[in-house]
Amino acid sequence: MKGRSNRRHRWFRARIAILGVGLLCVAALVLVRAFQLQVVGGDRLREMAEGQHLRLLRVSPRRGAIYDRHGAELAVSVDVDSVYANPRRLRAMDQDPARTARRLAAVLDVDAKQLASRLATDRYFVWIARRVTPHEATRIAELDIPGIGLTTEARRYYPNRHLAAHLLGFADIDGRGIEGIELAFENELRGSDRRVEAIRDRRGQVVFADETIDDLSKEGQNVVLTIDKAIQHIAERELALGVRTFEARGGSVVVMDPSTGEILALANYPPFNPNEPSKHPTAHRRNRAVVDRFEPGSTVKPFTMAAALTAGAVRPDQSINCENGVTRIGGRRLHDAHPYEWLTPTQILAYSSNIGTAKIALELGKRDLYRSFRRFGFGDSTRLGVPGEAAGILRHYRSWYEIDVAAVSFGQGMSVTNVQLATAMSAIANGGRLMRPTLVRRITDARGATLEETKPQVRRQVVPRRVAKLVGEMLTAVTEPGGTAMEAAVDGYLVAGKTGTAQKADYIHGGYAKDKWLASFIGFAPADKPSVAISVVIDEPIIAHYGGTVAGPVFRRIAEVTLRHMGVAPDRGRAVLAEMKEKPEAEPAAKAAPTGAIEDGQSSVPDVRRLPLRRAVLTLHAESLVPEVSGSGLVVRQDPLPGSVVSHGATVRLQLDRRSLDQKATVSPKGSPSLAAAVPRRPHEP
Amino acid sequence: MSPSSKPPPMRPGSIDVSLAATFVGLIAFGVVMVYSASAVYANRMYGDGMHFLVRQTIFASVALLVLAVSSRIDLSLLRRLTYPILLIAVVLMVAVALGLGRSAGGATRWIRIGSLNVQPAELAKLAMVLWLVHSLTKKAHRVRTFSIGFLPHVLVMALLMLLCLAQPDFGSAVMIALLTFVVLFAAGAKAGYLLGGVLVALPIGYAAIASSPYRMRRIQAFLEPFKHRQGAGYQITESLMSFGSGGWAGVGLGDGRQKLLFLPEAHTDFVSAIVGEELGFLGVTALCLAFAWLVFRGLRAAWRSPDEYASYLAAGMTLFIGLQAFTNLAVAMGLLPTKGLALPFVSYGGSSLLVNAAAAGLILNVSRFAVEPAEVAVKSVKRKRVKPRMRTAEGGAR
Repeated sequence: MKGRSNRRHRWFRARIAILGVGLLCVAALVLVRAFQLQVVGGDRLREMAEGQHLRLLRVSPRRGAIYDRHGAELAVSVDVDSVYANPRRLRAMDQDPARTARRLAAVLDVDAKQLASRLATDRYFVWIARRVTPHEATRIAELDIPGIGLTTEARRYYPNRHLAAHLLGFADIDGRGIEGIELAFENELRGSDRRVEAIRDRRGQVVFADETIDDLSKEGQNVVLTIDKAIQHIAERELALGVRTFEARGGSVVVMDPSTGEILALANYPPFNPNEPSKHPTAHRRNRAVVDRFEPGSTVKPFTMAAALTAGAVRPDQSINCENGVTRIGGRRLHDAHPYEWLTPTQILAYSSNIGTAKIALELGKRDLYRSFRRFGFGDSTRLGVPGEAAGILRHYRSWYEIDVAAVSFGQGMSVTNVQLATAMSAIANGGRLMRPTLVRRITDARGATLEETKPQVRRQVVPRRVAKLVGEMLTAVTEPGGTAMEAAVDGYLVAGKTGTAQKADYIHGGYAKDKWLASFIGFAPADKPSVAISVVIDEPIIAHYGGTVAGPVFRRIAEVTLRHMGVAPDRGRAVLAEMKEKPEAEPAAKAAPTGAIEDGQSSVPDVRRLPLRRAVLTLHAESLVPEVSGSGLVVRQDPLPGSVVSHGATVRLQLDRRSLDQKATVSPKGSPSLAAAVPRRPHEP
Repeated sequence: MSPSSKPPPMRPGSIDVSLAATFVGLIAFGVVMVYSASAVYANRMYGDGMHFLVRQTIFASVALLVLAVSSRIDLSLLRRLTYPILLIAVVLMVAVALGLGRSAGGATRWIRIGSLNVQPAELAKLAMVLWLVHSLTKKAHRVRTFSIGFLPHVLVMALLMLLCLAQPDFGSAVMIALLTFVVLFAAGAKAGYLLGGVLVALPIGYAAIASSPYRMRRIQAFLEPFKHRQGAGYQITESLMSFGSGGWAGVGLGDGRQKLLFLPEAHTDFVSAIVGEELGFLGVTALCLAFAWLVFRGLRAAWRSPDEYASYLAAGMTLFIGLQAFTNLAVAMGLLPTKGLALPFVSYGGSSLLVNAAAAGLILNVSRFAVEPAEVAVKSVKRKRVKPRMRTAEGGAR
C-alpha cells in the first residue's frame, strides 16, 4: 500500500515539476510579450496613447488692463461663466436631448431645436452659451442637469461703458483687440501666448499641465493712458449735448495738455458701448477725432497768421484792406461774410476775414505757407498710434494756383483731422513748440512696474516763441465781445481760440453743399499761461451752424470744468467781465404765465428773449419745442410769444441779434478790453 | 492502512520566509498600485481620491490576518471544512444566479452580505480546488478510474461553471475548468480522460462564445484589437498603450496617464497595465518574477511535503494563484481574450484579496512540514518505508 502510495507520490512530483515548468514557461512568454510591447513597440504605442491624452493648449495669459492717467480702470478682464455640455455624459445619464434643450432654452437665449441636435452628437464637449450673466449661470446651476456644466472664461469688460469707447476700441469674444487701443496695443495687452503640453482625461478635460503659469513677465501688460477719466466724461457729456442741441450728425473733441502733447480726453459722438459692440452700427464706432478728415475752414487762420508774422510778411500793427467783403484773386471772386474796410491782423482773426487772411498769405508766398503748414503738422500723420489715423491732405505748393494759396490760408482745399488741429493749436499755446501728441503714458507689467514710459517729445519749434505769444494774444479777441466766439469765453479765464464754420464739400455735385456745415472751435486757456487746449468739431449741425454758436459753448463747458479739475486758478481781473457776459445765462429762463390751461402734450412757451442761442434752444427743448433760428447773438424776438400754449413739437421762431450783445458788453462798468471797443460792429465769419 | 500506533505530532518547521515575504510584498504593492490607478477615477466617481485606497488598505489588513490564520490552521480541520466551504460557495452562487446579487456593468457578480459586497465566484474557485484536493487524496489510486476519479469532479466543475455562466462570468468559469483539469492532472488522472474532456469542452466553449454576441466581439477584438479600438477592443488597446507608454523604466509611479479614465477598470482587472505604464518593463519583470518565485516556492513546498493531502493542497493553491496571475497578465497584454479576472494580491477587490490570502496562507502552512529532498531520496534508495512521523491530516480524520 505504501509502495503504491510512494510510486504515486513520485509520479505526483513529476507532474508537479511538469506543471511548474509549464507555468514558468507561461511566465517567460508573458515577459517576452511585455518586452515586445514595452521596449520594442513602446514608441508606437506611446504615440497612440499621447495622441489621446496629450493636447497642446494655448495658454493665454490674462489680458492687461487699460487705465486712465490716474489709474482708473477703463478696460479690464473679468471671469465670467460659460455653459457647456458633455453630450456623451448626457446620454449616459439618460437625459433626453430635446427635453434638456428645452430646459436650457428656457433660461438661456438659445434656439432649443438647434441645441437639441448639438446635444444629440457623439462628443464630449460642446458650447451652449458663452459668457452668460451671473443670473443665468445661477439658474443653470440650479437646473443641475448631469452633463451640463459651467466653466469660467475671461471677458473683456468696460466698466464705464461708452466712456472713451472710440479710443479704447474693443476686443472680440476670444479677447483679441479689434479696434482702438485694444488693437494698437494688442501685443502688450495680450502678453505672450504659450503653448503648453497638457494632459486631458477621457472626457477631454484638462487634468494638469506640465508647467504652471506663474511667470508674470508673460502676462498681459497694462496700458496707462494720458486720458483723464473726469475730463473725458465732461468732454463726452458736453459734446453729446452740443451735438443733440444743434441736431448735428456727430462730432469730436480733443482735449490736450499743450505743454506735453498728452491727450487728456478724446471724445466722439455718436457713442457706443464697447461691451456690446455688435449692437451698434459701424459708423458709431468710428474714432472721428483721429480717422475723419475734413476741411477745417477758418480754424487754420491763426497758423497762416503765425507763418506770416514769422516771415515778416505782415506786421502786428499793419492795417489790411479787406475790400468791403468782395475781391478777386486769381480770377475768382472771394467773399467775406460781412464787409470790412481796414482791419488789423488781430481784427482779421477776431472777425475771421477771408480776404484779409488771403492777402496776408499771398504776401507770405505759397512756398512759405506750405512749409509752415507742414511744420504745424498738416498733411502728416501725428503718429498717435491708434488704428486708422488719417494724415489729412495738403497738396504740394508747386501745384497751387493763386486761388489755392488763398483757399489754403483759410482752410479750404486741404483736409485735417481733429487731433492735428488740436496739436497745431497746442503749438501756438506752447510757445511755438509742436509736441508729439501722446495717448499712452506708460506700459506696466502685471505687477504694476513700469516697463516703458512716454516722455513728452518736442517735434520742432514751428514758429518763434514771440510769434506764438503774439498770435495767442490776438486769438483772445475771438472770445471777447465782438469776436466770433463769445460763447467760448470761460468765466474767470482768458481764452484764446478760433472758430471755424466750414461748408462741407458736396461730393456728388461738386463745389460746396449749401446747407452742410462743419462747426468748430479750437482754443486754449488760460491764454497767457495755457494749461489746456481743446478742439471741438461738430459735424452738420442743423439748428445753427456758426462755429462760435455751435462749438463755442461746448468748448466753454469743457474748459470750465477741466481748468477747475486741473486746479488752474481763475484770473480775477477778468472775472468781472465774464460775469457781465454770463449775466443773461445766469438768469433762469422766465417761466411765463400760461395764457390758457395746459393739457397733456402741450407746453406753455417760455420766455427766451435776451437769452443766448444755446440757452434758448435748451430751454425750448425742455418744453419739447423745436427752435427755428435766424441770426446770431442774443434772442431779440420770439414767435409765438411767451405764455402761449402750443402742442409739443411746435416750432418756435427765434430772431437773434448781435447788437444786443454788444450793447450789453459796452455798458459794462469796467469797460470791455480795448480791442472790443476798437472793433466795428458785428463781425461774421464765412 | 491505518498506522499501528498514533505517531507523536511532528514539530512543524519554520515557514518559507521568502515565500511569505513575496505574499506580503505583493499585497503591499497592490495597495500602492490601487491608489495610483484609482485616484482620478475615485475622485470623479465619489469625490474622494482615496476611496479605493482606504478600502483596499482595510482589505489588505484583513487579508494579512487571514493569511496568518490559514498558515497555522490545522489541516485536518481544514479538510473537515471542505464540504461546508463548497456548500457555502454553491449557495452563494445559486443566490446570485437567482438574481439576488448586485449588478455592475451588465453582469451580476456580487452579493451583499451585511455591508460587504462579496464576489462568490472567487470563493467558488477556491472551494473547487479545496474540494478537488480533498477528494483526490481520499480516492488515492482510484483517481485513474473514470467513474470515480474523473466524472464526479468534472460534474461538480460543470455545476460551478454553469453557475458562473449564469452571472455571466465567463472568466471564472474558464478558470474553474482550467484549475480542475490542472489539479486532476497533478493528482494523476488519466491523461486520456483529460484530453477527452478538453475535446468535449472545446465545442461547448465555442457554442458559449458564439451564442453571446459580446463574447464574440471580444474574441474578434482579441484577434485584431486596434481594428476594434473604438468598440470591443477599446479596453485591450488602452491596456496595450499603457504598457507601451511605460517603456523600459516607466513614466514614474503615479504619473501614468492612461488611468485618466482612458483605461477602464484600471485599478481592478487591468492594474497590471498601470504597473506597466508607471514602472515600465522593469516593473513588469519584477512582478512576473515575484509570481514565478511564488509558483516555484509553492510547488517546492508541495514537492517536499511528505503528506499527500498537504502536497496536493500546496500544489492546488499554488496553481490557483499562479494560473490566475499569469492569465491576468496575458489578458492585459493581449495574449488571451479579455475576461474578468483579477490579478491576485494586486487588483482592487476584497473577495479576491481574501481568497488569495487564504490560498497563500495554506501554501505557507504546508511549507512548514517539509522533508528535506535528500532524506526522501535516501529513503527511497534504501526502500525504507517512510513512516510519516507527523500528525497528518489523514490521521486526524481517523
